[in-house]
Amino acid sequence: MQNLSKIEILENEVEFLSKKILELNKKLIDSDKAKTLFLSLIANKLNDPMTAILGMLPHLKIQNGNEKIFSTICQEASDLDFKIQNLITVAEIESGNMNNTHALLEIKKIIDEALESLKYIIKDKNIEINVENLVEKKIVTDPKKIYIITKNLISNACMHCPQNGVVDIILSTEKSILTLLIKNESSEPKLKEIPKIFTRFSEKIDSRHGLGIGLSIVRELCESLGGSVEYDIDNNFVTFKVKLPLDEAMQDFQACGSNEFLFDSFDDAIEL
Amino acid sequence: MIKTGSNFIHVGQIHVDTEPILISTVLGSCVAVCLYDKRVCVGGMNHYLLPFWNGNGLQSLKFGNISIPKLIESMIDKGAKSNTMEAKIFGGASINFSSCQTMMVGEKNILVAREILNDYKIKIVAEDVGGNSGRKIQLNLEQGKVLLKYTAKSNFGDM
Repeated sequence: MQNLSKIEILENEVEFLSKKILELNKKLIDSDKAKTLFLSLIANKLNDPMTAILGMLPHLKIQNGNEKIFSTICQEASDLDFKIQNLITVAEIESGNMNNTHALLEIKKIIDEALESLKYIIKDKNIEINVENLVEKKIVTDPKKIYIITKNLISNACMHCPQNGVVDIILSTEKSILTLLIKNESSEPKLKEIPKIFTRFSEKIDSRHGLGIGLSIVRELCESLGGSVEYDIDNNFVTFKVKLPLDEAMQDFQACGSNEFLFDSFDDAIEL
Repeated sequence: MIKTGSNFIHVGQIHVDTEPILISTVLGSCVAVCLYDKRVCVGGMNHYLLPFWNGNGLQSLKFGNISIPKLIESMIDKGAKSNTMEAKIFGGASINFSSCQTMMVGEKNILVAREILNDYKIKIVAEDVGGNSGRKIQLNLEQGKVLLKYTAKSNFGDM
């Protein structure tokens, strides 16, 4: 013991503490495993009937005077579907079944799709949506993840936006980075909540809105794409800034899903 | 017959396959665990960023203690058995000399891999970990061999 160098003592200490953390973490994971399984089961059980409801709704015959009722049903079904899709996304992330896919796409179309799915809240609150698209070319990215990210951020902006408010969406690319800005007015932006805003269930402070998992999904998906999401408050305006790296080389591959270009050669590699 | 294409995995991803494909990744302080079961020719690789899930955000595969058990489970689902699996671990470099914390991340990533593989009684048959250089690795699922090259610092950033 007396012959151990300082580095060795430090290494032993690191090893001991790491083992302790590992043990504590095992307990934490075990207790969370049951929750993940439940989440996965409930999300799928809810999704099946929801798909049927959403599929059949447009085929219903609307009688005079029932338009308002029909509209409310559509709105509630759409809202419920959004929540279920978020639960499914969490279940997929936590189960490790969400890999990156690549597709050549027009980012504006994804935004339009997200806005269409949020049309009820936009109409209900009479929100003015301004989309400024500075992305001229098609980009290669994961369409499903981009859709989930944008829908959650736009939905968040709409929920916290006052009646007759404005939501600005700005899309741009610079130096192979796609930037997505979503800005909304908020009557009471909560500065003290900034550190917790992307932590799941932190919305319990403001339980009127959502399940409290949307922004944690956004952060997780941005990071899985090698990007980031930031949150900023300036004079009652809240801005979410998403930055995602774009692989220009991927565009030459027409989104074939291969990343071989990263490697020069393995000719003189070590074999293990 | 080995396919010419290579399946590249990013941080927080796992790829397990029964086909004789190539799986590649680039590592800095991150660690990749490669598993192979010769008996059934099933192999897989993960790539994780941090050793432990902190219980705060989502329980994703970017954490070693989530990713490694998930990789083992995926291998078992494809017909492999933990007692016939062999492991090779790579990465865990100390990238930023100015940041003590970053150096610890690499070390802890390695430690977590060893601990969890030991828990599952999976033998580590080869490893190339630590040091100051990033690594590019390619796992060949035909024989379970791994090709490794060291990379210049600028090539791997903070992977």
